[in-house]
Amino acid sequence: MLFIYLLAAAGSGITIVLARIINSKLAEKIGTLQGTLINYIVGLIVSILCFFVSKESSLITISRYHSVPIWAYFGGIVGVITILSSNYITPRISSFYLTLLIFIGQLFVGIAIDYFILQELSLGKLIGGIFVVLGLSYILWVDKKEALE
Amino acid sequence: MNYFISLLIGAVNSVMVFLNGTVSDHFESFSSSIIIHTVGFIAIIAVLLLTKTKITLDRKTPLYLYSAGLIGVGTVVFSNISYLHLGVSLPLAIGLLAQTIFSIIIDHYGILGMKVIRFNPKKTIGLVLMAFGIVIMIIY
Repeated sequence: MLFIYLLAAAGSGITIVLARIINSKLAEKIGTLQGTLINYIVGLIVSILCFFVSKESSLITISRYHSVPIWAYFGGIVGVITILSSNYITPRISSFYLTLLIFIGQLFVGIAIDYFILQELSLGKLIGGIFVVLGLSYILWVDKKEALE
Repeated sequence: MNYFISLLIGAVNSVMVFLNGTVSDHFESFSSSIIIHTVGFIAIIAVLLLTKTKITLDRKTPLYLYSAGLIGVGTVVFSNISYLHLGVSLPLAIGLLAQTIFSIIIDHYGILGMKVIRFNPKKTIGLVLMAFGIVIMIIY
């Protein structure tokens, strides 16, 4: 079973890259805003189908909506910004760089959110993150050197 | 500039994960997915109306290009399965490893019409440094 869980973890990574590329291809064909709209329509329909098939619908109670802070619902809007901007950037940069740069940006802002909002500082994440940045810098340096030769 | 925008997307991603994560704390995964998609749907409709963008669908557009939304729900399912059984750190590290390797393959072979960028074996040292950093993150 462990193998299947590891495979699922890998699947979550692969689908992120795949969706990003396919989205940007659609955006090239029909426009960035239009492509984003399609993404949300399809995502919404599939989520609703899964919702009913998985029998999650029987677990819903209205009172739970009140326990979620209003600001949390703005995540969906932030998601639109992410998709619009990644549709712009995906054709302009190598998939490898994009993956790593997004990770680094996400990591350090994640550390900042943990620190300022949740009041915890993860030293391991910080030190590990610095190594990730060092690794990426080295790769960028290799590219720069090759380009000059 | 492109590098900076990419970093910024990552930064915005973190805010999104924090907000959506708060929603997911209160709801099951598909319910959260419906809520998040509905808010995003309303937002993009508002942007389309404000910019008076016209939508024209081209019959020649291959069907698989419409599948990103479906694949996105796949990401939700996969992460839920792995987080449920493996905890937080391990799926994160494996997910990033899979993203990195898959991206290198896509660049190297120019899959899905992307520009071909061959992988330079000299970059392996950089990858090892990164893997080391991720191991530190997991152990801590």
